[in-house]
Amino acid sequence: MIIPTIWMSAIVYACEISILSIGFTLTYLTAKIPNFAHGTYAGVGVYVVYTITKILNLNPYIGFPISFVVGGAVSVLIFLLVIGVLTRMGGGTIVLTISTLAIQIFVTAALYIYAYWLRAKYHTYALGFMIKDSDFRVGGFQGIFPVSILICVVTVVLLHYMLTRTKTGVAMRATAEDPELSSVMGIDTNRIQLFSWFLTGGLACLAGAMLPFWFMSSPATGGIIITSIMAGSLLGGFESIYGAIVGGFGVGLSEILLTTWAQNIKIGGERLLWIGEYRPLVPMFFMVAILLLEPRGLKGVWDRLLASKTGSRLIERIRGGES
Amino acid sequence: MISMIGAAVGAVSSRLIVDIAMYFGAFVIVAMALNFQYGNAGVPNMGCAVQVIAGGFAVSTFTLRLTLWLLQKAGEPIRPYASNYDWVYNNPYNVQTVANGFIQSRPLFGISLLLFSLAISLVLGAAIGWLISLPAIRLRADYLMITLITMADASQIIARNWVPLCGGTLGVYVPNVFAWYPGDRGIITAVLTLAIGLVSFFIFRTMLDSPYGRLMRAIRENEVTVGSVGKNVTGIRRNILVFASAITALTGAIWAFYFSYVIDANYTRALWTYWPWLMLIMGGPGNNAGTFLGCALVVAMRRVIIVYKWFFMKFIFFPMSYFEQILLGTLLIVIMIFRPSGLIPEKLLYIPGVNYKKMVREEVKVDWRAAPKARTGGGRFKLWGRKEEGGG
Repeated sequence: MIIPTIWMSAIVYACEISILSIGFTLTYLTAKIPNFAHGTYAGVGVYVVYTITKILNLNPYIGFPISFVVGGAVSVLIFLLVIGVLTRMGGGTIVLTISTLAIQIFVTAALYIYAYWLRAKYHTYALGFMIKDSDFRVGGFQGIFPVSILICVVTVVLLHYMLTRTKTGVAMRATAEDPELSSVMGIDTNRIQLFSWFLTGGLACLAGAMLPFWFMSSPATGGIIITSIMAGSLLGGFESIYGAIVGGFGVGLSEILLTTWAQNIKIGGERLLWIGEYRPLVPMFFMVAILLLEPRGLKGVWDRLLASKTGSRLIERIRGGES
Repeated sequence: MISMIGAAVGAVSSRLIVDIAMYFGAFVIVAMALNFQYGNAGVPNMGCAVQVIAGGFAVSTFTLRLTLWLLQKAGEPIRPYASNYDWVYNNPYNVQTVANGFIQSRPLFGISLLLFSLAISLVLGAAIGWLISLPAIRLRADYLMITLITMADASQIIARNWVPLCGGTLGVYVPNVFAWYPGDRGIITAVLTLAIGLVSFFIFRTMLDSPYGRLMRAIRENEVTVGSVGKNVTGIRRNILVFASAITALTGAIWAFYFSYVIDANYTRALWTYWPWLMLIMGGPGNNAGTFLGCALVVAMRRVIIVYKWFFMKFIFFPMSYFEQILLGTLLIVIMIFRPSGLIPEKLLYIPGVNYKKMVREEVKVDWRAAPKARTGGGRFKLWGRKEEGGG
């Protein structure tokens, strides 16, 4: 089986953005703020894997569980020190959003300092790197290609199981819907909040740990991919985790494939467009299109489809065909 | 060692004062406009970088082309500038040698160029403010915030790669409109910036003290009440956005003239959205004194750290700017936690001729964090008039 490299690259990227979008949406659901520092957690994961691989000379895949724990710890720390305190004091959406912008800049600067420290101590170039050469190969593929798909699928399945079958997941959904009512019903909302911040931070850091296997990474990576994450979350409807899975995957896939295809359009041997450097505009284009056409994203489209006559008939027919 | 530091301080300080004055003037205009929008009217404009960018690129795109065209008509030896390559490659000669030499003996030409750029950036800023207000009427506040922040990034990416705008990654020189001034260009630009800041301060203050300003505060406190007494809340919000955006765009134009150079790195989202918001929140939204204090504090700290970084670099192994970001980020969060209404909290509104002692016996405090109203109706935050329909 031969898969073009560009498809592999797009799928790896899409898996990462998908996981990050899930975390962004979860944070939005539980804390009601767009967390601009979410991409920066991925930057933390990048450096956890770098340290494991280049400094400690271990297998990079050992970094995955470690980065999950480290990312969760960072996220919980941020919640305990900043977001939780500000929320308890009654800070509005604006104050919390500004604080997440501050956290983004803070964590990025800390990562830069860490990279410079690595450079001073170990004389490695930690400011822009890939760890493709430390990866294993399976039948012509690079290891991260199956691994990223596996992690994405496992994450989605586990999340679905957790949110629908376990007590913690149901409590999380209840807290997202109505914190006051759920605390009346005996749910410790503070602990649920802590758990959800740990989960989102860990997932983001895990996705970030997969980044340097295929893409050039630097301390600023996390700040750059936040637009893709937000576009994925918006495409999925901003309030639906299942939407975020599809939306993040779509945005990540199209970001790489669209720029490549548009670049390869040739007329008489001449390139028509040279748009590789405009790649970050693709998610922004998505965002504007979504906001103008259907502000509730794929979730809104789905709801509208269910509500309309032809849509419900179509779905009935599909269901009927299955059974 | 001490004598070395003393000599460096002597050499740097006069320049540093000009630098701080310029930065203060530029940022205080943006922060005051933000205070006008968010502090007083409760409109969270997270896209102030977009307007600043529009002002800056208006100078490189329109003023520079106009100058070159006029000079060509006047018979000056201008090299071609039509193609992308010529636009960047001949730019240093065209601007530094021909245009600046031409302006040197004709102050009126320079001043009219300056006025032209300010006017065009005003118009562009107002247009962008109007454009922003269009989706803002329909969208929820957090959607709008995300869109505006990414729009600032998008305009920077376009500017970095689209050469006709400002020369792509290389940037372009813009004519020095103060070439006729014999002294330091920085001083006259800083004075001009501070003058514009002062004028806009008086405009904002007059507007805030007028009945319109009280209306704005009323919208911030409770838009439903204002709407129920027959005021057009959406229209007032749109007017505020348009007006403040126009003034914000002036900063971009002056910023270009201060450096005589336009490049996308001078107009990043962090510089023009994050820092003005930090100044506003730090100083205390709702009053201009707080904005001034926050702005002066942040600008002085940043400039002093950056100018004296050679001194700190002896002790640390990483570039100073990261330490500065960490310091200011921590300071912001500490102020947010321990002084939630800023360094100078908003004072009660005083209307001359009203006997407040008789009117109110108990102390009424304006809690800025409660406005715009968060967490109403199912925990969602609706800023703009229309109510969310249905709810999936």
